[in-house]
Amino acid sequence: MKLGFVVQRYGLDIAGGAEYHCRLVAEHLARHAEVDVLTTCATDYVTWENHYPEGTQTLNGVPVQRFAVERPREIYRFAEWSRRIEGPHVEADELRWLEEEGPLSPRLVAEVERRRSAYDLLLFFSYRYYTTYHGLLAAPERAVLVPTAENDGIYRLSIFQAFFRMPRAIVWNSPEERDMIREATGNEAVPGEVVGVGSELPNRLDPDAFRRRRAIQGPFLLYIGRIDLNKGCDELFEFFQRYRDETGSALRLILMGKAVLGIPDDPAIVHLGFVSDQEKWDALAAAEALVIPSRYESLSMVTLEAWWARTPVLANARCEVLLGQCRRSNGGLYFAHYDEFREALATLEADAGLRRTLGENGRRYFDANYTWEIVERKYLDLLERLRAEDAGRARAS
Amino acid sequence: MSFEIKADGVDVQAVMTAIRKRIEEKRQGLYTEEEIREIAERRLDAVLDAHDFNPDFVKDFRTLPTRWNFAFHEDTLYESSRGFVGQLLRTLRRLLNPVQKLFWNPNPMIAALSRQSDLNAYYAHLLTNLAVEITKLNLELQDLKNRHLALQAKVELDARRERTLEEMVIYREEPEKKGADGA
Repeated sequence: MKLGFVVQRYGLDIAGGAEYHCRLVAEHLARHAEVDVLTTCATDYVTWENHYPEGTQTLNGVPVQRFAVERPREIYRFAEWSRRIEGPHVEADELRWLEEEGPLSPRLVAEVERRRSAYDLLLFFSYRYYTTYHGLLAAPERAVLVPTAENDGIYRLSIFQAFFRMPRAIVWNSPEERDMIREATGNEAVPGEVVGVGSELPNRLDPDAFRRRRAIQGPFLLYIGRIDLNKGCDELFEFFQRYRDETGSALRLILMGKAVLGIPDDPAIVHLGFVSDQEKWDALAAAEALVIPSRYESLSMVTLEAWWARTPVLANARCEVLLGQCRRSNGGLYFAHYDEFREALATLEADAGLRRTLGENGRRYFDANYTWEIVERKYLDLLERLRAEDAGRARAS
Repeated sequence: MSFEIKADGVDVQAVMTAIRKRIEEKRQGLYTEEEIREIAERRLDAVLDAHDFNPDFVKDFRTLPTRWNFAFHEDTLYESSRGFVGQLLRTLRRLLNPVQKLFWNPNPMIAALSRQSDLNAYYAHLLTNLAVEITKLNLELQDLKNRHLALQAKVELDARRERTLEEMVIYREEPEKKGADGA
């Protein structure tokens, strides 16, 4: 089976998000099929500036073909078009918005169209980008879409109504994502599978090593990811500081990741910046709980990783995906406002038995749904089914 | 493949229901006076500790105001704590009072210090009550914020439902048109 992966960015230095998800899936499916990646030369998701050279290179055994971005994103113009599509507008405005969203690489789209028959199936990652939208339109009969959609309302644009009914199949990150898109676009007829993604797991967990290395004593709450308004970090800081003030808790908040938001000058909040994968895992094992304040998540790999490390999570209940994951796994509590944050965190902090049980439930949930064996099998079953349908159709004609 | 974990020991939804019930109970009576006082004192602690106040001082200030504050009345200047000798001293000072008044008049100082002592007690009382009142207001504000968030979520849900219903109408119309064309 020959598979083509189409994604807006691709590289070993791109951590997190749909691009990382795409790379992991491509590398794992490369063990079972012939895999190519078609992508752009960009690394920066804000500007899409060309960074890598055009042409083909091999990354972790997967051939990657890169195409230049025609023009980088002009942020103010993109913001202007984003505002415009919020109000009354026509479909042409949405297409213009998509062009401004980028990455604008018509050559990548042309290549997808030209080589479509060379692949059994093409997997498109992240529905909301120029390369995915136009690439999928160029080869809908071979397209498998991995939308990685968040509840940000973009999927309701009229251009995506027909778009979500076009691919041969859709690989969902969660049942909530599937229901959200189905409710908005009525694409129940498109076959799909809730799969998600696995993780690169460590050989060992050493919580004491993390505490020693960072000289961290006592209990702490852990946040991993970009420290950003969009991720709900402002609310997290406010809630956490209030929680400490009101309860006299000795809990600290440890932050890992790039900060694009001011961090309060508070000795109880510690920012460690980027850390190695091993340190991240050790911290997950050492934490009382992982907190995920974001309202917009399509899957949250770090939540699954916390569960693998048997650590409970405290998640934003206004994100339906996180709410659903917590309820299905019985691996975490959730909050929709400060009172719930306070009570849920106080409950977690006070009850070591509850933390242990939630962590164990999380681990069972991970083992039942997100090991690479399971993820690969789900992908392969779906792709084989589609290929068998094609073969049947070819025989019939 | 099931996406559900059936735990024997813990049901997250039951835990959250219990948490929400606790919150609701607190909201109904808001907080008791003791809870509010407790929260206010924690906040006061945070402010005072941040400025390196001696924590014993804060404790004394709250529990033993007489030890921290001074009491001042017109006899204070003549008092002594030396028992019988002290009584003699006090009598002697009183006797010499008219002579002392030839050099300076202690009455304005006595009046000012006496008033300052009353003011100190008054300010302490006022600040404590203000901290409690501000805490009450903060709690009410947070309650309002939470209600606002809940309402916002309901509005968003209603808007989504509205769009879905509109789309359902569109989809229903399409097959009818097709049927008419086919006929």
